Amino acid sequence: MKRSVVIVVLLLLCPMVAYPAPADTLADAKKKGVLVAGVKDSTPGFGFIDEKTREIVGYDVDFCKAIAKKLGVKLELKPVTSASRMPQLVAGNIDMIAATMTKTPERAQQIDFSYTYFFTGQKFLVKKGTVKRLAELDGKRIGTAKGSTSEQNAKKALPKATILSFDDYPQAFLALQQGKAFAMTTDESILAAIMGKAPDKAKYEIPDIRISDEPYGIGMRKGEKDFVDFVNKTLLEMEKSGEAKQIFEKWFGPKSDIPLQRTFVIKSD
Amino acid sequence: MFNYAFDWGVITTGKYAEWLLEGIKVTIQLSLVSIVLAFLLGLLVAVMRMSTVKPVRWFAHAYLEFFRNTPLLVQIFFWYFGSYQVLPRAVNDWLTGMNFEFAAAVISLTIYTSAFIAEDIRSGVRSIPKEQMEAARSSGFSYIGSMRHIILPQAVRITIPPLISQFLNLVKNSSLAMTIGVAELTYQARQVESYTFKGFEAFTAATLVYLVMSVAITGLVTLYSMKVLNPIRTH
Repeated sequence: MKRSVVIVVLLLLCPMVAYPAPADTLADAKKKGVLVAGVKDSTPGFGFIDEKTREIVGYDVDFCKAIAKKLGVKLELKPVTSASRMPQLVAGNIDMIAATMTKTPERAQQIDFSYTYFFTGQKFLVKKGTVKRLAELDGKRIGTAKGSTSEQNAKKALPKATILSFDDYPQAFLALQQGKAFAMTTDESILAAIMGKAPDKAKYEIPDIRISDEPYGIGMRKGEKDFVDFVNKTLLEMEKSGEAKQIFEKWFGPKSDIPLQRTFVIKSD
Repeated sequence: MFNYAFDWGVITTGKYAEWLLEGIKVTIQLSLVSIVLAFLLGLLVAVMRMSTVKPVRWFAHAYLEFFRNTPLLVQIFFWYFGSYQVLPRAVNDWLTGMNFEFAAAVISLTIYTSAFIAEDIRSGVRSIPKEQMEAARSSGFSYIGSMRHIILPQAVRITIPPLISQFLNLVKNSSLAMTIGVAELTYQARQVESYTFKGFEAFTAATLVYLVMSVAITGLVTLYSMKVLNPIRTH
């Protein structure tokens, strides 16, 4: 019995020992000719599957493309979820994360972040006319996604609420549509995107209740200064050349499905 | 060899330990309720499957094939999200107020597992010589009565080992309930991981708890069959 436990634990450790994550992503990617990026594949606007081409597209994907192009390598996209993205990065399955990921001090202890390339705040999506103030949400059932900052912020802002964490945001929205959740909460940009895609979007609204700032950063393995510098330099150049703004307009401009205001510029932190 | 700093303190004290304990509680509740219901339902379906009335037999057959051959995860989504399309609005609202996530998980686990249990019990029954049924019927027992008093008590004993496997599968399958927001053990372990990034510790703890639960169930059922059912010796 005791021995079998030891064997189980040893087996669990195998992946960590057998495949050490590359210590120099920049050189490694150049050598292999491929940069592997973890992106969302069901978050409209940022990373989602294009109905026609069946490929993952979006704001996050365009930034990955620009970085890979600058590096002169091919880009490979891997779908990740909020919960899986950091373990995937640390394990070396992906080289960077561009997946609507908020920069937090806790996360920064585990991985390194680029400069902020998108800025938003956490709000709520509710059925029209049901909520005006934050207090009206306390004690209610609130849907969100596992492993996200949204989940943690919601618990803090609404201690009496029941937080229902689903695998991803579309399920949280389904729960809202069906009345299983009273509201769903996450970054305004994601909420607006989901609402924009809904066939019955006239029934919903995003009241002006903001519970946090959400600066998105590109996540990289800890201690790879060269790679972080390279990504940051690329981001600044994209801002200067207007490419960053163009990408924003493409996905969130006035004519897009998800019209948002660009309230930020990419700059060094 | 390992460049990983283990920190067991994170999961053995404070609020994260509480979360894991809370998860263990929900997993135990979910598993026990579902095991009892799945066994009873499986017994019923097995008897229906062997019924002499054709429509009853066909219904049971269809039930078995349908629920054995669709993934449990799909069934969980079906009961949780799909029920909305089928049930009246008032019933839905009432269910939502009643911790419907837990109920949907119990329903899915029960129905899914009952299909496997029914098949196991049926093979148990088939291993009882059919002369026993004939003898029971000619002694004046009804069909249900012969099943209840003569056939099933023997069949269930023979079925104990495969039944244990089904119970163990159910315990492990209960982790899928996290996909609809039931805060069971795996859900809480993942929660601890996303707050502390100590996923390895959290999941090791969860692994050990599942192991202990499974060993306990195997032990209890074996003990029950040895002491209470006093079975025919099969080995």
